[in-house]
Amino acid sequence: MRKIIHIDMDAFFASVEQRDHPELIGKPVAVGGSRKRGVVAAASYEARKFGVYSAMPSVTARKKCPELIFVKPRFDVYKSVSRQIHGIFQQYTDLIEPLSLDEAYLDVSENKKGLPTATDVASEIKQAIHRSTGLTASAGVSINKFLAKIASDYDKPDGLFVITPNRAQQFIDRLPIEKFFGVGKVTASKMKSLGIRNGAELKQWSLEELVSLFGKSGHYFFDVANGQDNRPVVAHRERKSIGAETTFIEDQTSLDRLIESLQGIAQEVTRRVSSQQSAGRTVTLKIKFANFTQITRSHSMLTPVNDYQSIFSTAHYLLNEAFGEGMSVRLLGITLSNLDKKNCADTQLTLRF
Amino acid sequence: MNIIINREKILVPLQQVIGAVERKHTLAILGNVLIQSENKQLTLTATDQEIELITRLDVSVEEDFSATIPARKLLDICKALPEASDIKFNFEEHKVTLHSARSRFMLSTLPARDFPRVDEIKSQTKFNIPQKDLKLLIDKTAFAMAQQDVRYYLNGMLFELNKEGIRLVATDGHRLALSEYNEINIINIDKQFIVPRKGVLELARLLNVSEENISVTISQNHIRIETSDLTFTSKLIDGKYPDYNRVIPIDGNKIMTVNRELLKQSLQRISILSNEKYRGIRMTFSENNLSIQANNPDQEEAEEELTVKYNETPIEIGFNVTYLLDVFSVIDSEEVEINLKDANSSCIITSTNTKNFRYVVMPMRL
Repeated sequence: MRKIIHIDMDAFFASVEQRDHPELIGKPVAVGGSRKRGVVAAASYEARKFGVYSAMPSVTARKKCPELIFVKPRFDVYKSVSRQIHGIFQQYTDLIEPLSLDEAYLDVSENKKGLPTATDVASEIKQAIHRSTGLTASAGVSINKFLAKIASDYDKPDGLFVITPNRAQQFIDRLPIEKFFGVGKVTASKMKSLGIRNGAELKQWSLEELVSLFGKSGHYFFDVANGQDNRPVVAHRERKSIGAETTFIEDQTSLDRLIESLQGIAQEVTRRVSSQQSAGRTVTLKIKFANFTQITRSHSMLTPVNDYQSIFSTAHYLLNEAFGEGMSVRLLGITLSNLDKKNCADTQLTLRF
Repeated sequence: MNIIINREKILVPLQQVIGAVERKHTLAILGNVLIQSENKQLTLTATDQEIELITRLDVSVEEDFSATIPARKLLDICKALPEASDIKFNFEEHKVTLHSARSRFMLSTLPARDFPRVDEIKSQTKFNIPQKDLKLLIDKTAFAMAQQDVRYYLNGMLFELNKEGIRLVATDGHRLALSEYNEINIINIDKQFIVPRKGVLELARLLNVSEENISVTISQNHIRIETSDLTFTSKLIDGKYPDYNRVIPIDGNKIMTVNRELLKQSLQRISILSNEKYRGIRMTFSENNLSIQANNPDQEEAEEELTVKYNETPIEIGFNVTYLLDVFSVIDSEEVEINLKDANSSCIITSTNTKNFRYVVMPMRL
């Protein structure tokens, strides 16, 4: 049986800001732009009491909590704290799968310090994080990733929760459906309309039924409802895509202006792809409109590309196809996927017409 | 309505037009071939609405009639019947029955009036050229056309007419092929048009090496080529072809001459151990010597040495071996010339006997 820990930093960006600016302690803090186009990147627990959450438009957040203090994000600081925490993990295991700057799975089936239980490891890690960064983390301990993640969320903040193998099924059975990782608002209401309110009720459904109702996710729902999650903790996840995007200060309605911005975005993607010594076959253009709806359009080529000309001209073509009179665009992005790590030596040069 | 056609008289024409029949078509009737008789002349027509092929059969029919028959089924039946069989076609409403000896096939037909035809071609330019010459020009350049490129105008071949003659150009952005033909006097007209990839490939398949003069007609949106037994019509790509002259190097100063067959064989062997996807090879030119190396992600290596004529400063340059092999497969002279500038600039490859066919290849960065 495996021993998996999920570590999740508590209100990470906001806590870092409160640590570095003591005058913010105990106050509702939102990290993110306060101006009308901004979005909340993280909210302190004080702010969450008012219903302020990450990804919320700053305007809405301000309405919910008029005293909300907006702080500009300092990603360099968060990254360096994240590295510090990662260093702590490495004292216990090499099987670390970071999900983001503030979250990671650890496989501690074997731990480097020879501690007797995974609970001991989790407890030591939490203490070490607090000692070296002054921040609190919540830890979940169990036999797979699904349960470990649910466990870390169970006792937040500064929590440590263990789901032992013999209690695992009981725990899943009682878990409200919206607490299942991967169940968002839409899926939750669909499940409820089918009479599925918790794990026990989900377990009543067969694999075929779940697949026909939820497509690919049906497999996942079936497995986790039955306590099965064999996904390994993957230490080095291959990048699946490389992209860049721009949010405009003012919504854009002119195709010419959009094409201009697209050049800059394509340059950035080209720079990132070449710094990764990679190339991709599929170019995807993302357009987010003023009303926050978004579309993506893709084109795949026969061979991978990594040069500006190919990336830009493909994105440009997709933009021409997608753009219509009267569209008001908030954000434009280009992603290169179907990546293919390649030798630096193999870079085909292109004719310059 | 009954007609009797000998298998041999319909098989070749059917095989000629079948290229226009798409395997996946949006309209059922596009999977059919139009068979019709007008003024005693029997013809077969197939189209995918981008290209249209008409063949004239050496069969005389008294009465005018027309119908459309599922093309692939008809071809498969004709192919499978014994050689020299006579096939009796009995057309009725909605169906045709084929009798041959003791075989019988009943196929459903669709009305000929629903068969999409190319609009009337309003000729703007017309010229004649020996069939074999046009075939040669296409065969020497078609391989360099792009496939599924978003720069849709590259998924085709540029035809350029001017007072000096005809030029055909194909490029996929990494390499370019150009054919030139001057033994022709086209009325003083400067004209550029792009024939789509599928049309070019069909044309290459249909044309043969006969001396017969064929007529080429170009209108605003179409090209039509007529031989004695075939009419080929293709839509043109509406787009602006890039200025290819800009990418034909004129400042190369390092010329290497080598036996084409020996170089081609070396490259074929080397390619076995080049990276399967990127196909990169390294060529090192030094005093009368060319060394070629390749390796793959499994750390396997190949190396070839060739004696060449080269008296310039040594140069090391990378290429996609497929691009080079494509070129050396269409050149047919004994010796070839590679004109280089440096490791980051394109090279130009030609035969030593003629400069009518020129190939530009961009290197790979080493």
